[in-house]
Amino acid sequence: MPKNDHYVIIGNGPAGNAAADTLRASDKLARISIISDEMFTFYYRHRLPEFLTGALDADALTVRPYTVYKDNNVRMRLGQCVERIDPADKTLYLKHMEKVHYTKLLIATGGRAFTPPHLAPFRDSLCFMTRYTDALQLKPRIQDAQSILILGGDLISLNVQQQLLKAKKTVYFALNPDSFWPLKLTPEMAARIQKSLEKKGVASCVAGDIQDIACKKNGKLEVTLDSKCAFTVDLVGCFMGLTPNIEFILGSGIDTERGVLVDDRLRTNFPDVYACGDCAQIYNPALKDYWVSVGWHNAELQGRTAALNILGDTKVIKPLKQGVLEVEGLKVNTSWWKKF
Amino acid sequence: MKEKRLYLRNEEEKFEGTAYARQVVRDIRFSTDARDFGYIAENIPCQDACPVYTNIPGYIRCIFENRNGRSYELNRMVNILPGVLGRICSRPCEARCRHGESDLGEPVKICHLKRAAADHKHAGHRISENLFAPSGKTVAVIGSGPSGLGAAHDLAALGHKVALYESMPRPGGMLMYGIPEFRLPRDLLMLEISNILRLGVDLHSGVAAGRDISLKDLLKKYDAVVLTTGTLSPNDLGIPGESLPGVLSGLDFMMRVNQGETPDVGERVAIIGDGFTAMDCARTCMRFGAREVTVNIRKTEEFMPVDEHEIFEAKFEKVKIIGLVNSVRILGKDRVEGIVFERNRLEFSRTGAGRDTVPIGNSEFEVPCDTVIAAIGQNPATDFNDVKFKLDGHRIFTKNGTHATSVKNLFAAGDCNTGASTVIASIAQGRGCAHEVDALFAGRKRKTMLVRFEPAEQTDRQRAWDFIPPVPMPAADRSERLADYRNEVEQGFTPEQALEESKRCYLCYLKYEINVDRCIYCFACIDVAPRDCIKMIHDVAIKPSGAYGDFMQTRDWTDVRAIAIDNKRCIRCGKCYEVCPTQCIHIIKTELIEQDLEA
Repeated sequence: MPKNDHYVIIGNGPAGNAAADTLRASDKLARISIISDEMFTFYYRHRLPEFLTGALDADALTVRPYTVYKDNNVRMRLGQCVERIDPADKTLYLKHMEKVHYTKLLIATGGRAFTPPHLAPFRDSLCFMTRYTDALQLKPRIQDAQSILILGGDLISLNVQQQLLKAKKTVYFALNPDSFWPLKLTPEMAARIQKSLEKKGVASCVAGDIQDIACKKNGKLEVTLDSKCAFTVDLVGCFMGLTPNIEFILGSGIDTERGVLVDDRLRTNFPDVYACGDCAQIYNPALKDYWVSVGWHNAELQGRTAALNILGDTKVIKPLKQGVLEVEGLKVNTSWWKKF
Repeated sequence: MKEKRLYLRNEEEKFEGTAYARQVVRDIRFSTDARDFGYIAENIPCQDACPVYTNIPGYIRCIFENRNGRSYELNRMVNILPGVLGRICSRPCEARCRHGESDLGEPVKICHLKRAAADHKHAGHRISENLFAPSGKTVAVIGSGPSGLGAAHDLAALGHKVALYESMPRPGGMLMYGIPEFRLPRDLLMLEISNILRLGVDLHSGVAAGRDISLKDLLKKYDAVVLTTGTLSPNDLGIPGESLPGVLSGLDFMMRVNQGETPDVGERVAIIGDGFTAMDCARTCMRFGAREVTVNIRKTEEFMPVDEHEIFEAKFEKVKIIGLVNSVRILGKDRVEGIVFERNRLEFSRTGAGRDTVPIGNSEFEVPCDTVIAAIGQNPATDFNDVKFKLDGHRIFTKNGTHATSVKNLFAAGDCNTGASTVIASIAQGRGCAHEVDALFAGRKRKTMLVRFEPAEQTDRQRAWDFIPPVPMPAADRSERLADYRNEVEQGFTPEQALEESKRCYLCYLKYEINVDRCIYCFACIDVAPRDCIKMIHDVAIKPSGAYGDFMQTRDWTDVRAIAIDNKRCIRCGKCYEVCPTQCIHIIKTELIEQDLEA
């Protein structure tokens, strides 16, 4: 590789970091930059629920300190937001009006909290948490709150609920079986999860979707579900899965559907632009569907594979075999999620 | 001294000073110079994007000034159905609004403001029409959809006697029978149609040309016949199982619903198609008891020909959009039980524009459903039995750049001529055809497009207004929407909301110009400019069309020939105007207007 190569990685999660490590291991001279709109170094996202309730402090979230990047000669650009990509010109436009040219680009921006469109009118009344910033903002509110309703549309919601119960909060749970992410729940599965949660201490677990949220004078929120159940709580947490973080790519010419469309070598439709991790969408022949993978392990695997292909290899991501995941005493088959 | 004379630049003759002055009215100028049309196209992109060239900054400014009636009339001058289009327009203007450019935020809600003007004009508002003297000529317009209404309106205003034939019981075509009532209330539609009929248009509803009356007879009876029959022949899927009960065409489905039927679609509906009809069908099914409605598209949402707003509203109502699928066959014995799709992947199109879809081998999968609705476009129904005219594929052939068919005195406009398009494009087609027919009768063109220049004062726009977020359209909640098919979803801006949104418009029709003869090159304007909109230039490129192109900048003082305001970058903040010590910056209101040549 010529010395003036500039590998740019957008995203500072497991996929981006695994890719940076792999690139540096094989190419000692190239410039490597990681751009992240977050202000914090690489952290364990799945530990955020524990951080939220005070069970863990911020240091325990850190995967690696900033000095590691300095030692590896990887330029870390934190708090910088990519506004758009011009893949024909191999240029990134950052929000602070800077242009960054790249030789090869890896998009590893992960996912963010998904708000189902029908919940958009209630967005201001809902709490979300997918990033450290979200957790920092939410932490004092959680500590002040006594009662919390969790809109449970994903596995993260189950994790948060566990931590809230440990923190002696009154937890209500509204399970949305129609859009549980990344699994699809049958009525039987939903019923078993409901029963299991109530057994563990959840004050009430009902199936349903939000019909209305009204803010009362005392600051409490009155939530009505379509099943006509109503809860009066201090906070409503919305955990309806993740959606790929790809808004800045739209209109660039890079093909997207739910995520960035890539082939099994993690290449987008533009040469020298790759995507991996929770933001990449790959056709899975076993499932006969396009899938956005989730989970730390998959992200790292894809990050390493993408980096090798950036370096000229022809590694292929193979669909993982179906694994068995236990959710609230219920075993479900999943190709992607191994642990939560 | 300001120029006090008004003159018309002649298209054929080069403009030199005031040698070709034709009239003097205050200090307003009109031009037909290609450079001025080019300026409009580049600097007022919203107006340029509109098929009827609506004066968008003009009508938004009127809303700001609480002149909703004038705003409505500015719309109505070129777009005969402002209240209708304020609800269902495809909004090509918003896609090009300069507020939506990179770094500038989001487009102004132009369409919602159009509706606000229609909603908040005074009750008993006076409609303005520039009527020409009766010509004694008669025209039959076949089809009362947007194109037919556009043609009928302009022909009637130009003094011709118009008979409007409609095969359905009520006028409006696709507006009445294609678009769902929750998007377009019918009383409003009928009100705006009646404003057209009031010009003396004779409506013959329930009369189909070629069935109830022969086209040959119409050609004998009238001086000209305009076909605006739209596209009423839906495309087939061309896959096995298509004839099973439960497989419907999107157009037929919407027409049945809009005639009062309440079809039983079952719980699971699969829509095939990615256009407005597909979205309308999906949202209609949600109102008729379906629990799971999917819109299945070959490409991805990015390539759907509907706007983001429409996609959001459908998803809000829990419609799911499934991308990258291709229908293969429909399953079922006595009726639909399911559908088989295969997955697609995208490839760059061989033509260079857009994407092609390529089916992925061995990717078929089955989806159970009770109803399949195919909304994959439609073609014109062109069989009138007694008169044969030339076709261009499925469409009616017209001579290059005109609306004249291969049959004398027979014209065609709208979707039957162009293929399925948008309501606003159809209105433009109908109006264009009317002017062509009029020119045939009169032996000359009686109306034309001009660029109008009028000196203007500094506005009260404030820089802070550039940072106002778009005002969301108030909408009915989900349960209210789904309770009744007729419940209108969008509730419209309140006057206060309309005022707030109107502040966001940059008023791109204001042209800021530096008089280099008076400029002392102090740079005060450059210092206060919030963007790189004021430039030192040594030349200006001229485009092949004759329009001005990019400014050629220089940093070499010996090479500077002018300091110029790049109106494509200017956001009309007025800071330069305020600080200029020599008052060498002028503001000129620059508008593209339709003008009577004989006025």
